[in-house]
Amino acid sequence: MSRARIYENRVEVLQGTLDMLILKTLQWGPQHGYGIVQALRANSGEMLQIETGSLYPALHRLERQGWVRSEWKQSESNQRAKFYRITATGKKQLAHDLGRWQRIVEAVTSIIDRDPEGNEV
Amino acid sequence: MKPLFGSFGHRKKDIAEELESHLRLATAELVERGMDPEEARASAMREFGNVPLVEDIATEMWGWLWVDRLLQDLRYALRQMRRSPGFTATVIGTLALGIGAAAAMFTVVDHVLLRPLPYRDAGRLVAIQEHATNDPRTSGAPWLDIQQWTLRSHSFSQIALFDGMPGRNFLEESNGGGMQISAVTVSPNLFATLGVTPSMGRDFLSVPMGSEVSKNADTVILSDAAWKAAYGGDPGILGRNIKINSKSYLVVGVMPPGIEIPFGPSFPQVWTTIALGDQDKTRYYNSPDYSVIGRLRPGVSIKTAQAEMSTIQNGLAVAYTDARVRQERTDARVQSYADSLVAADIRKALLALLAAAGVLWLISSVNTTNLLLARGAARQREIALRGAIGASRSRILQQFIVESLVLSGAGALLGTGLALGAVQLVSKAKPAHLNVEFSAHVNFTILAVLCGLTLLTALVSSAWPAFLAVSTSIESAIKQGGQQSGTGRRHSRVRRTLVVCEVALSLTLLVACGLLLRTIYTLRHVPLGYRTDHILVAHLAIPSYRYSNRNMIVDLYQPLLDRVQHLHGVSAAGFMSEVPLAQKFSIKLTVAVNGQSSIAVLKTVSPDIRRIFGVKMIVGRFFDDHDTATSEPVVVVNMAYARLHSPNPHDPSAIVGQRFMNLRKDMPTKIIGIIDDERQGKIGEPSQPEVEVSLQQLSPDSGFYQPSTVAMDLAVRTERAPDSIIPELRSILGQANPDLPHATFNTMDQVVEDSFGSQRLAAHLLEIFGGVALLLCLAGLYGLLKYTVTQQTRDIGVRIALGAQRTDVLWLVMRQAAIMLLAGLTLGAALALPSTRLIQSFLYGVTAHDGWTLACAAALLLVSGLSAAYLPARGAARVDPITALRTE
Repeated sequence: MSRARIYENRVEVLQGTLDMLILKTLQWGPQHGYGIVQALRANSGEMLQIETGSLYPALHRLERQGWVRSEWKQSESNQRAKFYRITATGKKQLAHDLGRWQRIVEAVTSIIDRDPEGNEV
Repeated sequence: MKPLFGSFGHRKKDIAEELESHLRLATAELVERGMDPEEARASAMREFGNVPLVEDIATEMWGWLWVDRLLQDLRYALRQMRRSPGFTATVIGTLALGIGAAAAMFTVVDHVLLRPLPYRDAGRLVAIQEHATNDPRTSGAPWLDIQQWTLRSHSFSQIALFDGMPGRNFLEESNGGGMQISAVTVSPNLFATLGVTPSMGRDFLSVPMGSEVSKNADTVILSDAAWKAAYGGDPGILGRNIKINSKSYLVVGVMPPGIEIPFGPSFPQVWTTIALGDQDKTRYYNSPDYSVIGRLRPGVSIKTAQAEMSTIQNGLAVAYTDARVRQERTDARVQSYADSLVAADIRKALLALLAAAGVLWLISSVNTTNLLLARGAARQREIALRGAIGASRSRILQQFIVESLVLSGAGALLGTGLALGAVQLVSKAKPAHLNVEFSAHVNFTILAVLCGLTLLTALVSSAWPAFLAVSTSIESAIKQGGQQSGTGRRHSRVRRTLVVCEVALSLTLLVACGLLLRTIYTLRHVPLGYRTDHILVAHLAIPSYRYSNRNMIVDLYQPLLDRVQHLHGVSAAGFMSEVPLAQKFSIKLTVAVNGQSSIAVLKTVSPDIRRIFGVKMIVGRFFDDHDTATSEPVVVVNMAYARLHSPNPHDPSAIVGQRFMNLRKDMPTKIIGIIDDERQGKIGEPSQPEVEVSLQQLSPDSGFYQPSTVAMDLAVRTERAPDSIIPELRSILGQANPDLPHATFNTMDQVVEDSFGSQRLAAHLLEIFGGVALLLCLAGLYGLLKYTVTQQTRDIGVRIALGAQRTDVLWLVMRQAAIMLLAGLTLGAALALPSTRLIQSFLYGVTAHDGWTLACAAALLLVSGLSAAYLPARGAARVDPITALRTE
């Protein structure tokens, strides 16, 4: 089975929203990379699949910007893993990202919700 | 915690561990769901994707990866180079030739054309010269014209003038010795115009030119070179009186090191102020000419100044009463001072040679591209494999660029070595009239150009191969090895085109080279009008001030001649004010006949000189020992003079017995004979009218011409080898005058050879460029055919197995070569026609569009190209069908 087939029914994460999704996931508590993937998949009803090829570069980008902090700890399954924790500036960034996302959603919705004559449905 | 430096390795390890932990967690979960551990691990890996790539990208987020990659690529490139030494040597050698030629030529151009002048804002300084409309030859300007320029023009903030003191100048040293210097008379505002101030003492006092008694009279400013050479840099020099040509001057200033005006003097300079004389108040043929330098006002362009000066000079020319002089001074040229230092034809020729070097560089780059393409085809599998195991395209591209940078860097290093050698060669063949010191020193400009060239070479030669390599689809490359694939065919089409370009460019260089070789050949076979074999010439720099109150002929020349003539092995010895073609200086005589003036070369000779040079006597007699200071003054003229001035236009010999000008006071001079025409200044120029006077007839009271002001050449006809006789001559000269043993000796053959100057330099360079181009082109053709034959071994095997004759196979390959060569030659011929015009000014006796030269160069390329193709063709014809079919 080729890889393309597996992902057929999943939605690609929108460009630029990955950082927001990671920060949001970390708001519920420190998590390692594998945990973040699992959480995003589960919370999106198996709809969102995060490529590891994008996740780890994103995590390190966030860490370099000071929005998350990392620490090696034992996981629940007693494995050593690197846990990421959101910082205060990270929280600020998340609020900013969420606000922007909200505005985009509103704008897109208001376009979709009109009939051809321009009246609200 | 954000470690940036030093923790690069740690960071990489950390990321690798993190990804490994991800895989462990994923595997553990799958096992928990009941999967077999091994299968779970594989599945997790599959899900994860390209681990090393993710690792790289994650590391890159921290910024230092490129250093790591660069080092890695560098190591890889060096390993590649070690693995294929033949290929590496070929590429580096090829690039070294190209870069070396370009760097060498640029060094010469930099030294000659781009010399920085030591003046403030030197780009705003212009030389103003007078000339005849539509005539590129220029002259200085008489004072009256310069005065009007200053009054009427608005383009210049200052106009200054200068002129060399006549004859040779000597600085008398305290120990009694004399040092030859270059003494220049200048206007008091010259240094202010140049924007330079003395490092010691003061500048000349600012007084307007033309005031009767100048406060600057008898004061002198020394150049740093003169101050150090003559006075050992003595700080007490200011206020001292020094003697120049026996005249006393007060030292008022010393200029900083490097300041010279005119730029590029042969001897250390000293400056005194111009004293205007009676002749400065006229506009006639004998009015002194000055060199003029102006500083452009801010915002005024050379073009504007040129337009203004043309208008002004047009108006001034009317004031010349003599028609010939007027016609020579109808226009004024404004030219940047830096440009005025190099003759226009030399400038053009140097730029043409630089272009030739550029063409060679292009050929070497093209050849390298070709080599890299061939290797790229061979490495396709390796590159595809790297792509398959996760190298990104940009990564492969980067590696290609690093590889070619290493190659061209090595090529540049070797090329610089070649360039330095070439510059030494050039400085030896330095044209006599190109007053420039070449040195192999490398300055910042040259270094920058070299680095730029290396980068450009790497880029140009590797861009196409790299592009092809990354655009190849991975699967097809791995499956088929790229040999018979579409890319392979595209490769070979590109490579064919490149070889065609190489052939075309090489033809251009070979044609240019052929034209110059023909020029040199023609020049060598011009009848000179005199013999040059077995003549030794000594250029005597006699400190004439020592003889200022004595008769040099009686005290120096005659006794010297007697002694040299009695030297063993000397058949004749004589003096000549300058031997032909020496191009050091010449004396021009303006002859006014019937109100029309004309110019003739004036030479002082001793009677034996005709025997030494074997000059043919057309009619009458040459000087003999009966012509003395007390006998009737006589002159000899040449045919060119006789043709111009003979009373009977159909019989030049009618001039013999005519009288003209006074050699001695109130004693008209008789023309006693006509000698044959000879080449005087340049071999390429026809004979000028010439008047010769006998040295023995000159005396301190000669009317128009003082023997003490000019240099003399001693010419000796001898059967002995120069090496054996020069020491004896030196000792005789030393006994006659302590300053003379330092005279420079030369054989007359060498003087002739040296007079080829720029042609020889250009020919030598183009011989090298053309030869290298031919070599590279043949190597390119050979390499391509060899490669094609290797790739087609199987096809050829099949053909032979199917019954093709071996000669058919041979012709098949030869035909490919012939097509490429002919296409290249056609393109080259089209290129050569416009480009050889660039060297027009160098050519003599052959036109830039010479069909024979083009045909010969093309034939040379064709024949050598086919010979180069024969080897791979024969190889193809010898293919054994059984082995060929078995190998694949």
